[in-house]
Amino acid sequence: MHINTEFMAETFLASLGGIPVTLEITLVTLLISVPPAFFMALARQRRKGIGSRLASAYVSFIRGTPVVLQILFLYSLLPSLLNYLFTQVMSLQVNVFKWNTILYAFIVFSLNTTAVLSEVFRSALSTVEHGQMEGALSVGLSRRQAYARIILPQALVSALPNICNATVNLLKSTSLAFMMTVQDITAIAKVRAAYGYNYIEAYLVVLVVYILLCTVVQLLFKAVERYLSSYKKLIAA
Amino acid sequence: MLEVRNVHKSFGDNEILKGVDLKVEKGDIIVILGPSGSGKTTLLRCINFLERAEKGTMDFDDIHTEFKTASRHQINAIRKRTGFVFQNYNLFANKTALQNVTEGLTVARKVPKQEADARAKEALDRVGLSDRYDYYPSQLSGGQQQRVGIARAIAVNPEVILFDEPTSALDPELVGEVLNVMKALARDGATMIVVTHEMGFAQDVASRVVFMSEGTVVEQGAPKEIFRAPKDPRTAQFLRRILRDDYEYSI
Amino acid sequence: MRPFHPSYIITALGQIIPFLWVTLATMAGTVFFGSLAGLMLARAKVRRRPLSRALANVYIYMTRCIPSIVLLFIIYYGLPELLLAFGININGFNKAFFVITTFSVLFAANMAEVFRSAYEAIDPGQREAALSAGLSEWEAFFRILLPQCVTVALPNFANALVNLMKEGSLAYTIGMVDVMGKGQLMIGMNNGSYSLEIYLALAILYWVLTVVLEKGFGYVEKRLSSGKRIVAA
Repeated sequence: MHINTEFMAETFLASLGGIPVTLEITLVTLLISVPPAFFMALARQRRKGIGSRLASAYVSFIRGTPVVLQILFLYSLLPSLLNYLFTQVMSLQVNVFKWNTILYAFIVFSLNTTAVLSEVFRSALSTVEHGQMEGALSVGLSRRQAYARIILPQALVSALPNICNATVNLLKSTSLAFMMTVQDITAIAKVRAAYGYNYIEAYLVVLVVYILLCTVVQLLFKAVERYLSSYKKLIAA
Repeated sequence: MLEVRNVHKSFGDNEILKGVDLKVEKGDIIVILGPSGSGKTTLLRCINFLERAEKGTMDFDDIHTEFKTASRHQINAIRKRTGFVFQNYNLFANKTALQNVTEGLTVARKVPKQEADARAKEALDRVGLSDRYDYYPSQLSGGQQQRVGIARAIAVNPEVILFDEPTSALDPELVGEVLNVMKALARDGATMIVVTHEMGFAQDVASRVVFMSEGTVVEQGAPKEIFRAPKDPRTAQFLRRILRDDYEYSI
Repeated sequence: MRPFHPSYIITALGQIIPFLWVTLATMAGTVFFGSLAGLMLARAKVRRRPLSRALANVYIYMTRCIPSIVLLFIIYYGLPELLLAFGININGFNKAFFVITTFSVLFAANMAEVFRSAYEAIDPGQREAALSAGLSEWEAFFRILLPQCVTVALPNFANALVNLMKEGSLAYTIGMVDVMGKGQLMIGMNNGSYSLEIYLALAILYWVLTVVLEKGFGYVEKRLSSGKRIVAA
């Protein structure tokens, strides 16, 4: 077998150009997903009422179906649905077919990540003892103050490793964004691979890039974790 | 100053409080005794609205309220004028000892930070922790944590402090330091309601002992009367058992 | 907006379900090979040999970072070329071979963690107690230690299995005809119409399978961990 190293070097440089897109999808998705995921976690914590049930069904459905299927479904539904809504229902002069397809990537991955994060937040909230809320109420804090100042800071620390996992998984899932014609790392390498049948080289490059990106993400989370969990680290000391 | 009447509370089919009355005057040290399951802790938690009683009324100085219909505003007002010391401390794990005490001052009562720090340090000094301001709960022993819990409760100058079995989660050798702090508070004229199994504390410090059994107040009176000549057979039986256990424990 | 035909979901399910065995058989093959490799990795991790342990750690770390689809493409396009260099021709192999290879590589890392956590959950005191009660080493292992390990391993294994099933749906991208592949073929033959109905049919199928797997494993776990349940009550 002949490995084309020159091609690999070129592909590496070219796929570097896709990194901003990959990171953009990951970051925007996280920003969109965190607030609704948090409120879903709170709703599910109550364990009763219609909100809790709806949230549970949503999480179960999203976690029970492959991401690729969610992408295919929404990408074949959303453009024409949005077009119909904008032009027919609201009579706006919008051409959704000219939109950057990255918008669909934001939507699809956010729907998915919201479900994942709501599970993460729920289990994190349940790790904070009930006594912490009682302690806060007994000194006169309101429920909202208790959440903001006592419960959430502790829940966040215990959630960080799982948030890191979710982020790594999200980053990996964005490799499927090429199905929505988004020009991320994988898409660029795929196109280049098809030129001269240099498949192995192209995908090996992508593989290395993902490992590097994942490493950076994990190091970042480690740093944040170390910073936030000062009160826990001292236990070991 | 504080009076609750006819307090009822059930958990499911299990009726824990079956119409309890309790009256507390300023400077009283009320010790509530009784076998486990008698509703002592539940009564205390209802007074601070950590549990919602189904029936009964409460008069706290000028505040008159029904337990069932108390508004959020009233609950908050009552909580701000009371302190609560928990069995398992419930210190904020993400805050230092000092921050645990200032939290209720700065956030709930809008005391300026500098003044809050000064008051919190004074409270921690009173419980003998002047060298532990910046320690996190996880770095303190059980006895020290409970003393921070007491400092947190007294720093807000509460009109009454509620103690829910403050020493029962502690190792035996750490009980003394917490009881000493409570005795000192009593000497300084604090109003306290204490649920405990510490008979010595009840005998030495209480101005009135309340004996509860199966969700009702069976009898109450000065510690001397209760301990020497209990009127109700249930009180007598309970005291016999406890005092015998204490005796056996000491050999 | 084109019309939506809910009844076609049923029609699609009827045509897709006959291909369920392909999905399940690929999963079974992956579980078999992936577990074998995972067992070796776990062994390398718990033994005190620095080199093999470091290698196992690197393997597990890297596979956690690799998107399934990238590895699938590398193995599907790359492995035949690589082996051809050694004179082995696998170009005519069944697509399932490449799918099982790819997902075994990834599944092994998950299984290594499953095995390792189960192994580490063993309390040496349990073995000693069993031996002192007169059980033989084998009896102690099969009657006392193994059941305890299994309860620790089951939830993680169920999780890994569900993930495998979902990730496995990518096999259609190299042309394997499992449930997902059949769905794509149907869409292709209909020139893209009925795509929503077909995707919904697939989603329902995967959802049901996931719930069945989770509930099934949950039930087994409950049965096995009766000892723990009493403690919790």
